[in-house]
Amino acid sequence: MGYKNYSDEEEEDDDVEEEEAEDVEDEEEEVEEEDEEEEEERSRKRKFKGSQFIDDVAEEDDDEDEEEEEAPRKRRHRRASEFIDDTAAVASDDDEEEMEGEEDFIHDEGPDLADEEDRGRKHHRAMLPEDDQQENVEDLEKFIQQRYGRQEYEEFDEAETTDVEQQALLPSVRDPKLWMVKCQIGHEREASICLMQKFMDMDMQGKPLLIKSAIALDHLKGYLYVESEKEAYVRESIRGMRMILQREVKLVPIKEMTDVLSVEKKSVDIDQDTWVRVKNGVYKGDLAKVVDVDHVRQRATIKLIPRVDLQALALKMNEGSIKGSKDDAKNRPRPAPRFINVQELQDLKISIERKRDPNHAGEYFEFFGGMQFKDGYLYKGVSLKSIDSNGVVPSFDELQKFQKPTDEGGPDTMGLPTALMSKRKGLFVKGDAVIVVQGDLKNLMGYVEKVDDDDVFVRPKDKELKGSTLAFKDRQLCKFFKTGDHVKVVAGTHEGATGMIVRVDLGSVVILSDTTKEDIKVFTANIVESSEVTSGLNKLGDYELHDLVLLDQSTVGVIVRVEKDSCQVLKGTPERAEVVTVKLRDMRKKLFDRNTNAQDRDSNVVSLKDIVRVVEGPFKGREGPVEHINRGILFIHDRHHLENGGFLCVRGLWCVALGGSRNGIDRGGRQARNNNFNGGFQAPANYLQSPRRTPNHFNHPGGGGGHGGSTFGGRQAGRRRDHGLVGTTVKIRIGPFKGYRGRVVDATDIDVRIELESQMKVVTVRRDQLSDPVGTPYHNGGGASYRESPRYGAGSETPMHPSRTPMHPAFMTPMRDPSATPIHDGMRTPMRDRAWNPHTAMNTPLRDNSWDDANPSTWGHSGTPQYQPGTPGGRQYEAPTPGGGGWANTPGASFSEAGTPSVSTGPSYGNPASPYLPGTPGGPPMTPGVPSYLPSTPGGQPMTPGTGGLDPTSPASGLSGLEIESKWGLPEIVVTVRKAGEESQIGVIHEAMPDGTCRVAMGPSGEGEIIVATHSELELVVPKKTDRIKIVSGELRRSTGKLIGIDGADGIVKMDDTLDIKILDMSSLGKMVAN
Amino acid sequence: MFFHIYLERNMQLHPRHFGPHLRDKLISKLIQDVEGTCSGRHGFVVAVTAVETIGQGLIRDGTGYVTFPMKYQCVVFRPFKGEILESVVTMVNKMGFFAEAGPVQIFVSNHLIPDDMVFQSGDVPSYETSDGSVRIQKDSEVRLKIVGTRVDATEIFCIGTIKDDFLGLIGNPGGGA
Repeated sequence: MGYKNYSDEEEEDDDVEEEEAEDVEDEEEEVEEEDEEEEEERSRKRKFKGSQFIDDVAEEDDDEDEEEEEAPRKRRHRRASEFIDDTAAVASDDDEEEMEGEEDFIHDEGPDLADEEDRGRKHHRAMLPEDDQQENVEDLEKFIQQRYGRQEYEEFDEAETTDVEQQALLPSVRDPKLWMVKCQIGHEREASICLMQKFMDMDMQGKPLLIKSAIALDHLKGYLYVESEKEAYVRESIRGMRMILQREVKLVPIKEMTDVLSVEKKSVDIDQDTWVRVKNGVYKGDLAKVVDVDHVRQRATIKLIPRVDLQALALKMNEGSIKGSKDDAKNRPRPAPRFINVQELQDLKISIERKRDPNHAGEYFEFFGGMQFKDGYLYKGVSLKSIDSNGVVPSFDELQKFQKPTDEGGPDTMGLPTALMSKRKGLFVKGDAVIVVQGDLKNLMGYVEKVDDDDVFVRPKDKELKGSTLAFKDRQLCKFFKTGDHVKVVAGTHEGATGMIVRVDLGSVVILSDTTKEDIKVFTANIVESSEVTSGLNKLGDYELHDLVLLDQSTVGVIVRVEKDSCQVLKGTPERAEVVTVKLRDMRKKLFDRNTNAQDRDSNVVSLKDIVRVVEGPFKGREGPVEHINRGILFIHDRHHLENGGFLCVRGLWCVALGGSRNGIDRGGRQARNNNFNGGFQAPANYLQSPRRTPNHFNHPGGGGGHGGSTFGGRQAGRRRDHGLVGTTVKIRIGPFKGYRGRVVDATDIDVRIELESQMKVVTVRRDQLSDPVGTPYHNGGGASYRESPRYGAGSETPMHPSRTPMHPAFMTPMRDPSATPIHDGMRTPMRDRAWNPHTAMNTPLRDNSWDDANPSTWGHSGTPQYQPGTPGGRQYEAPTPGGGGWANTPGASFSEAGTPSVSTGPSYGNPASPYLPGTPGGPPMTPGVPSYLPSTPGGQPMTPGTGGLDPTSPASGLSGLEIESKWGLPEIVVTVRKAGEESQIGVIHEAMPDGTCRVAMGPSGEGEIIVATHSELELVVPKKTDRIKIVSGELRRSTGKLIGIDGADGIVKMDDTLDIKILDMSSLGKMVAN
Repeated sequence: MFFHIYLERNMQLHPRHFGPHLRDKLISKLIQDVEGTCSGRHGFVVAVTAVETIGQGLIRDGTGYVTFPMKYQCVVFRPFKGEILESVVTMVNKMGFFAEAGPVQIFVSNHLIPDDMVFQSGDVPSYETSDGSVRIQKDSEVRLKIVGTRVDATEIFCIGTIKDDFLGLIGNPGGGA
């Protein structure tokens, strides 16, 4: 209700009224005028008072003024209350009251002519048609005179108003309020007219409505504004009106009142080549380009991609128009936008007329079906009202589509940058490098100096123009970037992304994203130069980039890209990389997989962050850390993989854990059968590599120690998947699904998911509720799985547990801790010995036997209680008596046999063991038959399993144990060569061959003949104090040093390169030939 | 570009190393710590050539570690915009190819590969001219020009172009031009 608005309206008002004087045609406007006029009067009054106020400085006057102003309100209030009181009862009272009020008012106001005038004018208005009929020119003249006179006065008044006064005119609490009333859409004007009619009618009847105005705004659908003091008046006035929803009466806050009537300066600058959108019809929402504008007739010719159903058109044209085809058209789906091809038309026998269109500079157009085409585009004449030019920002895709594929580089390409120069404010900021794309100074480069409302001041780069600043319209400019610039996207779908520019086109650039290494095409308008590196958006709701999310009950995926309101998710389908775009609401929840792990091909445990290599499937050869694990499916992040943010989805079984044990593979044929078994041994190896990552294994090594078998328990907490059962048919024994049969689709140690045969559903059933599998043997065939059942693990685990802990520290820092007590050493050594000892190699025949023997036994029995007595680890701890240094070795030494033979095959166990006892490292293991040691180790045997299980905790040993295998030989090491049937001789390794043999030069200093010997024929010569040594196993393999002391089974070595003092196993030290 | 510059660094040394070889230990630790690293400012440290000074050590409270301020001379490698480098292709894909020049990884987008070279997928993905005379694949040697660098705290990443005179293939995998 601002003053300004009113004056705007007024002017319009007056114009119309002039016309009206001669010819009253537009009733509608009249209504508004009527209401507005009332307003006008009021505002004028106020204005008048305002000036008065300024004239009379006296404060009392001011007060009076206010009182005066108060007066009419008082009147109305009074009247209102009475009105409400008496409406129903006595209507005539009202009249009287009003009369009284009127009198009061006039009395109060004194000579307030304006109001009177107003009243009179209203009268005039009502009489106007009569005047017309009578053609009372004089009256008319008078009327106009009156108005003009007033207008002049008005203008004079206006001239005097200042900003402050205008401010004073803003609606205040004391002014009538504006109420928003909901009405039927499309009936806004009608409703306001009806209100006016009602007002007049009621006024005639003498019980006027107490509303001041009703306003329907063209741009606001479904609402109209009613001005009144009270809501009750509004309600009263709209009562009984059909098109107005009675309930919805909302107060417009005072602050927003001015906005209601502010006339927004509509920049109707629909110009040639502007991009517009069609508002309705079959092309609704389509992008179009203005070809020609006729502002006078309010029409424009636009260019569109045709949506013409040629088939239908052809049918129609060839058969002549059929009745009711229009209805068909309505029902028919909207044809897809497609360029028209003349050839196609001819094929369909649609007659085309080709002629010049005089409206368009005589260019040739194709005409058919009442439509006009050129170059495949549809040219359509539309009214300006049916197109929308405001804020039309064509997306890149749209523009590309709009550009006919054939006319690359055509005139429309030039449209690109102009399209981007849409009226967006804040496009340029100081310092931006820009280039002029329009006007005389086209291609001038410069930097933005200052930005005004419309103008951008540019300091040209050109030397000759240096120093001057030129002003351009922002549409004349385009941001300028060079290849290689690092930029940030500030708007659009890729908002937030950063990258380097790899290609610059006019108006758009291609960016290589920093994070995804993908190409992004963006408009130059949407980027700014920035050194910041971001991943772009990386959060959407509660989800973050690279989160594992649940999409539906069975599908999971990793978010590989976050967009504005959706994510791209790489689904957990290992067979192919499937990326779907998922809306926020479609994501069920975020999955946390902190404690999950899976198995690789060799049954090594793969945990999060482990590095694996894919060896099968479509992603063969890729490798990277495991980011997520879900049901045996791994999500790997390979930074060299450029798609899907580097994420791959593969089955765990397709991978090998890098650094994992290869033993499984080496053993070749047996592998299949021993798969799990080997796994049991390799698992420790794996733990060693990443002990910290598998916190859950902590519970298990003890169990693992029980014997080979129990390591299975150690692999996973009991939710292990059992693929052996999957696919078999089982019958449910008890529970709600008793008697049902079904196929197992998934199985863990506890639950089995079964697809029922009789019903189309998958149910989860506890394992113990199943009867024996119907199809395949369950207990027998699934021996492994049976063994893995938790009770087994639990049984062996528990007792072991305490024993492990004390040893732990010793293992963790075997080398570093010089303060290690003898006991620790004792305990430690065996472990290392076991691991490092070259002679644990698999190539001794006896070993193999022991394997073979052992396996079946473990397989068969593992999990059965008889094993458990063998594993009370507790006892093991008692073992490390001082003498136990050597003694304890035994168990450890038996690494490979650890679990297996310990219980069942005592003798074979003892053989390879105890490499230590004689103090000649490497010696005994070579000679499997050393029976003399057996007696010394019987006590150890029960312990063995325990030790085996503990092994994994010693990081160093595991690694080396694997690395060494059998090829410990290194050049320059002095060895004892024992060939079958020959006397042992001293020699020096000359060269270690890759095939596991060594070329040994005979003689203590290697001057004799060179023979080839296998490792099994070689033994290290135990170095003596002050001998130079070379380390043959462990992390320090190949490093050299000097043995400065011997402490039982340990050698104290001073390393050559670091000069560190290290305590190492004697068995890992090879004497170097003296130079 | 390579530079031979002086840098400074505070080295922390564990007390167990105190002794006659402290200096050697410090130097070897410095070399271990510094060589192969990358700083945004100086680029990759290729080699430490000399240790200029080793300042007085300061014992850190609580830990027993001693901090020595060290000044050393080293060779650094820092790529610059516009620099021409010779590099070895490490990966080829449809978006372009990655090449390495020493420690620096350079990406050459397909937009920056001459238009007559097209991507050929297959067993060995490559960019090839239509007549097959020039073929860029993994392990090819390529001369390129750096058009943009992005410097992170620990990595320098470059974008290169071979769309210029005298740029492109200079050696095929396994030798030969």
